[in-house]
Amino acid sequence: MKGLGLVLLAATALSGCHMPGRPAPGPEVPRPESVMSFAQLYGENCSGCHGADGRNGSAMELGNPVYLAIIDDAALRNIIANGEKGTLMPGFGNAAGGSLTDKQIDALVSGMRARWAKPNVLAGMTAPPWKASQPGDATHGAAVYTQACARCHGNTSQQPGAAGSILDGSFLALVNDQTIRTIVIAGRDDIGQPDWRNVLLGRALTDAEITDLTAWLIAQTPPHPGHPYPSTQPTAERPGEQQPLATHTQ
Amino acid sequence: MPWYRRTYDWLERRLQLEGPIKDAVLHPVPKSTASWWYVFGSASAVLLVLQVVTGILLALVYSPSASHAWNILQMLNHQVPLGWFLRAMHGWGSNFMVAIVVIHMAQVFLFGAYKFPRELTWIIGVFLLLLTLGMAFTGQVLRFDQDAYWGLAIGASILGRVPWIGGQLVHLMLGGPIINGATLTRFFALHVFILPGTLLVLTGLHVWMVVKLGINEWPMPGRLVRRETYIQEYNELAHKDGLPFFPGAAWKDAYFAAAILLAVALCAAYFGPYGPTGTPDPTIINTVPKPDPPFLWIYTVLSYLPPEMETPFLLIVPPLAIAVLLGLPFVAGVGEKSWWRRPVAVFSVMFLAVCWASFTHLATYTPWSPKMNAWSGAPIPTAFLERRTPLERQGANVFQEKQCRNCHSIGGSGGLRGPALDDVATRLTEDQLIRQVLLGGGNMPAYGSTLSPPETTALVRFLNTLHPNYQPAASDASRAVAGQGGVPSASTVERGNGQHKTQ
Repeated sequence: MKGLGLVLLAATALSGCHMPGRPAPGPEVPRPESVMSFAQLYGENCSGCHGADGRNGSAMELGNPVYLAIIDDAALRNIIANGEKGTLMPGFGNAAGGSLTDKQIDALVSGMRARWAKPNVLAGMTAPPWKASQPGDATHGAAVYTQACARCHGNTSQQPGAAGSILDGSFLALVNDQTIRTIVIAGRDDIGQPDWRNVLLGRALTDAEITDLTAWLIAQTPPHPGHPYPSTQPTAERPGEQQPLATHTQ
Repeated sequence: MPWYRRTYDWLERRLQLEGPIKDAVLHPVPKSTASWWYVFGSASAVLLVLQVVTGILLALVYSPSASHAWNILQMLNHQVPLGWFLRAMHGWGSNFMVAIVVIHMAQVFLFGAYKFPRELTWIIGVFLLLLTLGMAFTGQVLRFDQDAYWGLAIGASILGRVPWIGGQLVHLMLGGPIINGATLTRFFALHVFILPGTLLVLTGLHVWMVVKLGINEWPMPGRLVRRETYIQEYNELAHKDGLPFFPGAAWKDAYFAAAILLAVALCAAYFGPYGPTGTPDPTIINTVPKPDPPFLWIYTVLSYLPPEMETPFLLIVPPLAIAVLLGLPFVAGVGEKSWWRRPVAVFSVMFLAVCWASFTHLATYTPWSPKMNAWSGAPIPTAFLERRTPLERQGANVFQEKQCRNCHSIGGSGGLRGPALDDVATRLTEDQLIRQVLLGGGNMPAYGSTLSPPETTALVRFLNTLHPNYQPAASDASRAVAGQGGVPSASTVERGNGQHKTQ
């Protein structure tokens, strides 16, 4: 009887207490299309370029509340599903050859908003729309560049500023007008780069200025970009790091 | 006389088992065999019983149907009380059984126990090992998840390489040209009837011979086995310096078997059951199937073999290995038993153990295999993006989007197929990086046709930033000179060691 009691005790202990080996609810490996958790979808598909938690990635900061405030769900869905032409953002939707279903893309969009959006981030101000409503005036854009951008990005690609050149042909060939417009409006608060309100001292950039600037920048793309030695001057020297390149001119 | 005594006598008069059992249990064994080294055989048998009991309980619920098997395991994991624990006990019991059988075999080999007159015991033991491995493989198939599916696919493609009859063998194994419902029923029959039936019969024979021929005495250097005198010497040893098997030697077996069962239960409670991983659907391509622990080493070996060596290896080495094991007692059936005087035997065991451990360890992190979702799922560490120019950041995007990360790690995450690139700029100059990216080489494919010039430039600019702060990037001195519009008259090139100006 004593033995039976011990067995019963052991069985109760086994079924009652939490054991680490007990499988978590749901299948260990769900079918890929049935994954709906934002953390998993974002972690497996987006974090590589956009950074863990939407910040500090090499590509656009998705966790930027200003960005989430100016872009609507349809545009986000379209970019995730079909990619962004002219940039390195590929399409992740089934139709574009990716692995995400429409429902998963919806889960990503709503998850981004739930985690990172701040409802009042633009309260009391009118931000420029995410999409330009009219073509820009490139000639005027040059003046905007000198006024607003040159301070950090330099006047020419040969004279890069502290933040590195954005007039580099290879850089311009890898972005499109929407990339430039988005980054000018939303900025990158994760790496300390200003949004459209803080580029100029005293006032925000206007919608027209941003449109013109974008048009001018895109017009600076050389016809055959990507020559590794456009000039032998270093175009992308890291800020603050002057390497001992030969500079003598004798 | 009490009633139980009368019942016993009634049964004994008819069965007459008391004598043989007493003989077997109380037979004298050499005192030296009452050692902790002699416990692995009985532990294997106890694990076999555990597997039979847990297996029968699982068979009460399991259904060998391709459409139901996976769901039934889900039900066992989540709905049946302690169903997951039962599965875990059977799965971990299997791992332990393979391990203990192999240890038992190594011990028997090192102690020379396969020598005269125990040759047949050894030979049957070899078949018991093969059957145990067969049970492990067929059991993995019954889980019928992605690991099982692709494990079967590997098994079938191995069989398909047999000359002339490969096709028919695959058909026989799978019950058709592809993995289907008939495959599962075949493996169910193998795992539940054919293999365990044979295993039990051979185990019985194995134990019978151990009892009849006596437990191998502790080998002493210089005490050689001779066919003419061994039996007599052994009997003298067992009777003069011996003790009855029970309880003299058996209590150690009992303690060890209990400890092993406890270890199985602890592993089951802590690590839980094996899978089932994803559904066995070949259209799901983002899966990383892995064999169960006993076969991880084969996974490594097959991954590292050059393609042209695969078929010869698969068709020659296993039969050869089995032939060596079976032939061992005939080649070395007499003579020295002690490991002190059998260096080749000792080093063989050590060599195989080191190989096995290395291959198994490699299979746990598969450095040969690209990490197919690293490009989209492994962020570039912030430190590698700090204070980078816009072009270099675009280069990081190229690095991810073109899936360089799947083979090359940065900051410890990413594939291990190619070298880690954390400090690649200290090894390659910008020109060398461009050449490597465009033309490949050293086992890396060429990406010249998939990268546009701006992408290449951006990528190389990013790679060129990958060096520690205290060490500059490798640079080509001639680039700086060329940047001045030709070789200046008094450059460091011309004033190099051993040179002098010509004009």
